[in-house]
Amino acid sequence: MTLGLLLIVAFGGALLTYLLGKISSKLRDVWAVLVSLAVLFGTATFYGKSVHDALSYKFLGLPLVLRTNELSWFFAIAICGVGSLSIIFSLSYIKNRERTDFYYFLMLLINASMLGIVFAGDLLSFYVFWEIMSWSTFLLISYNRGNALPAGMKYIVMSVIGSAAYLVAALSLYAKYSTLTFSAISTQMTTASPGFTLFILILGFMVFGIKNAVVPFHTWLPDAHSEAPSPFSAVLSGILIKMGTYGLILFLYVLVGFNQFSQLAWKAISLQTVLCWLGAITIVIPTFIALMQDDAKRLLAWHSIGQIGYIILGIAFGTSLGVAGGAFHVLNHATFKALLFLCVGAVEYRTGGVRDLNSLGGLMRKMPITFIGALIGAFGIIGMPLTNGFVSKWLIYKTLILNQNPFLAFAALLGTWGTLLSFYKFLHNIFLGQLPDKYKDLKKAPTSMQIPILLYAGIIVLFGVLPGIPLKIIGGFVTSFGLTPLKINLWGIVSETGILNTINVSMAVVSAFFVAWVVFAFAGRSVPTTAQDTYAAGAQIPQDKYQYSVEFYNPLYRMVGSYLRDVIDEFYGWLARVTQMTGELVRRVYTGDVGDYVLYIVFIVAASIGLKIWWPT
Amino acid sequence: MVAVLLIVVPLGLAFAMPLFNFVSKHIAGYIPIAAMLCNLILSILLLPSVMENPQIVVLGGLSPPLGIHLVAGPLGVGLSGLISLVGLAVSIYAWGYIKQGAQDKYHALYLLLLSGATGAVLTGDLFNLFVFYEILCISSYALVAYLGDRNGVESAVKYLIQGSVGSGLILVGIAILYGMFGTLNMAQIAIHIKDVDSPAIFLALVFLVTGFGVEAAVFPLNAWLPDAHSTAPSSISAILSGIAIKVGIYAVARVLFTIFGVAAVFQYVLLLGLVTLLVGEICAFSQDNIKRMLAYSSVGQVGLIVFAICIATPDGVGAGLFQLVSHALSKAVLFLGVGYLVACSGSMSLSSLNGIGKRMPVVCFACVVAAFSLVGLPPFAGFAGKFLIIRAALAGKGIFFTVLIGIVLLATVVEGAYFFRMVQTLYFKDAKKQIEFKKTPASASIPILALVVLIVALGVYPDVLLPYLKSAAADLLNKAGYIKEVLG
Amino acid sequence: MIVGLYTMLTKKNLIKVIIGLSLFETGIHLLLVVVGYIQGATAPIFSKTTGSSAEMVDPTPQALVLTAIVIGVAILALALSLAIRLHEYYGTLNLRKIRELKW
Repeated sequence: MTLGLLLIVAFGGALLTYLLGKISSKLRDVWAVLVSLAVLFGTATFYGKSVHDALSYKFLGLPLVLRTNELSWFFAIAICGVGSLSIIFSLSYIKNRERTDFYYFLMLLINASMLGIVFAGDLLSFYVFWEIMSWSTFLLISYNRGNALPAGMKYIVMSVIGSAAYLVAALSLYAKYSTLTFSAISTQMTTASPGFTLFILILGFMVFGIKNAVVPFHTWLPDAHSEAPSPFSAVLSGILIKMGTYGLILFLYVLVGFNQFSQLAWKAISLQTVLCWLGAITIVIPTFIALMQDDAKRLLAWHSIGQIGYIILGIAFGTSLGVAGGAFHVLNHATFKALLFLCVGAVEYRTGGVRDLNSLGGLMRKMPITFIGALIGAFGIIGMPLTNGFVSKWLIYKTLILNQNPFLAFAALLGTWGTLLSFYKFLHNIFLGQLPDKYKDLKKAPTSMQIPILLYAGIIVLFGVLPGIPLKIIGGFVTSFGLTPLKINLWGIVSETGILNTINVSMAVVSAFFVAWVVFAFAGRSVPTTAQDTYAAGAQIPQDKYQYSVEFYNPLYRMVGSYLRDVIDEFYGWLARVTQMTGELVRRVYTGDVGDYVLYIVFIVAASIGLKIWWPT
Repeated sequence: MVAVLLIVVPLGLAFAMPLFNFVSKHIAGYIPIAAMLCNLILSILLLPSVMENPQIVVLGGLSPPLGIHLVAGPLGVGLSGLISLVGLAVSIYAWGYIKQGAQDKYHALYLLLLSGATGAVLTGDLFNLFVFYEILCISSYALVAYLGDRNGVESAVKYLIQGSVGSGLILVGIAILYGMFGTLNMAQIAIHIKDVDSPAIFLALVFLVTGFGVEAAVFPLNAWLPDAHSTAPSSISAILSGIAIKVGIYAVARVLFTIFGVAAVFQYVLLLGLVTLLVGEICAFSQDNIKRMLAYSSVGQVGLIVFAICIATPDGVGAGLFQLVSHALSKAVLFLGVGYLVACSGSMSLSSLNGIGKRMPVVCFACVVAAFSLVGLPPFAGFAGKFLIIRAALAGKGIFFTVLIGIVLLATVVEGAYFFRMVQTLYFKDAKKQIEFKKTPASASIPILALVVLIVALGVYPDVLLPYLKSAAADLLNKAGYIKEVLG
Repeated sequence: MIVGLYTMLTKKNLIKVIIGLSLFETGIHLLLVVVGYIQGATAPIFSKTTGSSAEMVDPTPQALVLTAIVIGVAILALALSLAIRLHEYYGTLNLRKIRELKW
C-alpha cells in the first residue's frame, strides 16, 4: 500500500459515497463507514515506517512528494480516528435531515484532504490539500443554514487570507531556493538570513494561527463551531484546527529548525517569547469568556480556543517536555473535545435541537451513557489525574516550572481553574439539577451514538493510565527535531526532578474515590426531597420557573463580564465595514454619464503624456 | 493557407447568412456551430506546426510595405483555438437560448464578431489589426442592443460612444506611426523604431495603448463594461467577457511588446493593471445585480492578466496567458449558467436567486466550480494560473514586487468574499417565493458541462498547456525572433 | 478633432454627442490624409497627362481613410438607430437623464 493509493482510496471513497447515496441511503451509510475504517487501517499499516515518495505526476513542472514519518503518522491516526468515529455518530444524527449525500461526501472529502495535508512532502501538495480542506469545510459549515451562513463566510474569508500569506511564503522560498520539497528546504534554510527566516515564520504564523484559532486570529471559531452540525463540530474542534498546529510544527521545527528559531530576537523580545505569551493569553481570556456562554456548543468552542493556547505554549516553549506536552495535548484535546461535542450532539438529537444551557437540566437519569461520556470528557479537559489530559498538562506545567517561567505557569494554572468552573456549569446545566417537565420522556441516545462516546471515554482513561503508548511516538519525533530525547516508560515519563508514574497516580486517585464512596455509603441517611420544598410563605411555587441552572455564575458575570468582550472580533467587523464603505465610494466613479466616461479616456491620455514629460527618468 | 481559412470561413458564412435564411428559417442557428467547429479543428491541426516556425501568409502576393501579412504564430493560433472553443460552446448555447427577435441577424453578427476576433489575433499588419478590431467592436455594439430593451439600448449607446473614441485614438496612433516609417507592417516598424528618437513615438504609443485599452477594459477606460456585459443577452455577455476583452488585451500586448518594447512603459501599465484589479474587485463586492457583479469581476481579472503580462519575463507572460485561458473558460460558464438562472427566477438581483440550487442542480454546480476556479482554489484551473502569476512575480524581483503581490492577494480575498457569498446564496439560503422548475435544455447543459470538464482537467493537468505557453510567450517577448520569422 | 471631443464631453443631447463623434472622426481622417502629403505633389492617379509616380502624394493613407470613413458611417448608422430606440423608451435624449445604469 503506497501513500498515493491510500489517498486515492480516501478521495475516491468520498466521491463514490455521494453517487451511492443517489441509489440507496442504507448502502451509502455502510459504504461511508467502510471507507473511513479502511482509511484508518490503511494509515495504521504505516506505523513506524518512513516513506518518501516522489510522484511521477508533475504539476507545472514542480515535483510532488508524499511522505510519512512519525510526526505525520501521529496526526494521521488522530485524523482517521476522529473522522471515523464522527461518521459512525452521524449515522443516526443526520438520518432525517435533507441532503445527507452531500453531508457524507463532504465529511469524507475533508477527512481525505486532511490526510493529504499530513502526508504531503512538499509545499505545493500541502497547499492543494489545505485549500481543498478549506473550501469543503466552508460548504459543510453552511450546511445548517440560517445563522451558519455568516459563520461560514467569516471562516472562509479568514482562511483565504491565511492561504494568501502561505502562497507568498512558499513562493518566496521557491524564488530563493528553487525547490519546494521539505527536505531540500530544511537543509537550505540553515544558511538563511534572520530577516528572511523571520519573514517566512511570520507568514507561517499568520496562516497557521488563523486555522489554529490563536488569539488574535480566533474570531471565526466560536461562530463556526457552534453552527456546524455536531459530528462535524467534533471533527472541526478535534482535528481540523490541529492542522494549523501541524503546519506550525512543520515550519518551526522541520523547515526552520529549533536553533534558528530560538535565535530570532530583537533586543530582549524574541519570537519565541511572543509566541509563548500569545499562547498564554489564548489560554486565559477565551476560557473565561467560555464561562459566560449560554449555548453549550459555544462554550465548548471557546474552550477549544483555550486549549489551543496550551498547545501553542508547549510547542513554542521549545524544550522537549514542552513540545511533547503540546503534541500530546493535540491528541488529548481531540479525544475529549470530540467526546464533548458528540455528547452535546446526542442531547441535541434527543431534545430536538436544544443547546441552550438555561433550559436543559437533569438529563443524567435519562441519558446515562451520554452523562458518563461527558463526565469523563470534562475530567479530561480539566486535567484530572486518571485521564490523558492530566499527563499532557503535567508535562507543560513541569517544563514551565523547570525553566523558571512563573508567569506563564500561572497563566496555565489560571486556565485550568477557568476550565474547572465552566465544565462544572456545563455538566450541571445539562445533566444534573432538575429535569424540566418537557423532557420527562426522553429516550437514551441511540446505539450508533453510544459507541463513539464509549470508545472516546475508554481512550481517555487508557491514555491516562498508560500514556507510554502515544508518548513513544511523540518521543520519536521530538528527538528528530534535535531536542533532548525523553525517557519514556509505558506508564510514565522521566524528567529531571522526578518521575511521572501514572500507575501510582491512578492508584492514588482510585483509592481516594474508594475512601469517599465508603464514607458516603456508611454515613447517615439523607432524606430525599424536591426542589420545591422550601419556604414561600404559603404562595404557590412555580415548578417550571424553579431552575437552578439559569444564569449560573451570575455574580461572576457582573464582575468581569464587561471586561470580557471580544474586542478583536469587533475590530475585524469594523475592518469589513470599512472595506464595504470603500467599495461604495469607489463605485461612484462609474457615474452613468457618458460624458464623464469620455473624460476619463482623455484624462488617461493627458496623464500619460504628462507623466512622460515631468517624470525624472 | 490554412490560416486564411480560419478567417475566411466564419466571415464568408456570416455574409452568406441571408442566403441561408432564404432557404430555411431554422437553419440560422446551426451555421455558427458549424463554422466554429471547423475553426476549432483547423486551429488544433495547425498548432503543432507553428510552434517553432510561424506560418506567414502573404495576402494577394504583394509583400509589405505594399501588402498585408498574416502571421500565424503560436500565440495567434493558440488564441484562435481558444476563440473557436468558447465560440463553439456559446453558439451551441445560443441555438437554444435566442428565441426572439431577428435570429438570423443575431447569428450573422455573432459570426462577424468571432471572425473579427480571429483576424485580429492572426494578423501582422497594424491597420489590418485595426480593421478586424473594428469588425469585432461594431458587431458587439449591435449585439449588446440585440434584445432591444431599455437597459440594453442605453448601454449599447454608451459603449458605442466610448468605443468609437477609442478607435479614433488608435487611428491617430497609426497615422503617426505611418507618417514616421512609411509602412504598416508591425515587424518592419519594429525594426526601424530603434533608429528614431522623437517624442512622437511616445505619443503614438500612448494613443495606441489607450485606444486598445478601451476594449481591453483597463481602469478608468472600462466604464462601458459593467453596463454592456450586464444588459446584453447572456450568450453575448459570455462571448464579450470571454473573448472580446481578451482580443483587446492581445492588441495592447502586441503593440507594447512587438512594436515598442520600452521597459518603463511596462511598469506604468503594470500599475494600471493593479489599479484595475483592485477597483474591479471592490466594486464587484458591493453589487446586488448578479450580472453586474460578474462584469466587475471580469474587470478585475483583466487587471490581473495585464499585471501578469507586464511583468515582462517569459514566466510572467506565460502566467498571464494561462490566466487568460482559465478566465475565458470560467467566465463563459458563469455567464451561460447565470443566463438560465435569471430566466428561471425572473430577476437579476442576487437575493432572487436564493436557494435555486435545488431546482437547477447542474447549472448551479457548474457555476460553483467556475466560481471556485476564478478565486484560485485547487484543484481547478484558476489555481494554476494564480500560482504561475505569483511565482513569476516573486522570482528574484525583490521587495517591490512582494508588496504588489500582497495587494493582488488582497484583491483575491475580496473576490473570494463575493463569490463565496454567491455560492451560499445559490445553495444555502431559503427561497423567498416558489420558483417553478424549468428544465434546462440540453443545448445549455452540454456546453456548460463541457467547459466545466475542461476547467477541472486544466486544473489537474496544467502541464498540458505549458509548452504552448512557452512558445507563445517567446512570440511576444522575443522581438528579434519575431522580426526574423516574419521578414526572413 | 478637438472640437469633436469637446462636443462629446460637454453636450447633453445625444444627437449633439453623435455629431461630435462624427466631427472627431472626420478630424482623424484629415490627419491621416495629411500624413501622406508631399509638398508640391499631385493626386495619385495615373492618366495620360500626369508624370511619374515620384510626383504623387502617398496613396496609402487615402486608402486607409476610405476604410475609416466606411467604418465611421457604419458606426453613425448604428448610433442613430439606437438613438431613435432610446428616444422611444425614455422620451428624451438628454444624456444626463438617461442614467439608469450607474455604479
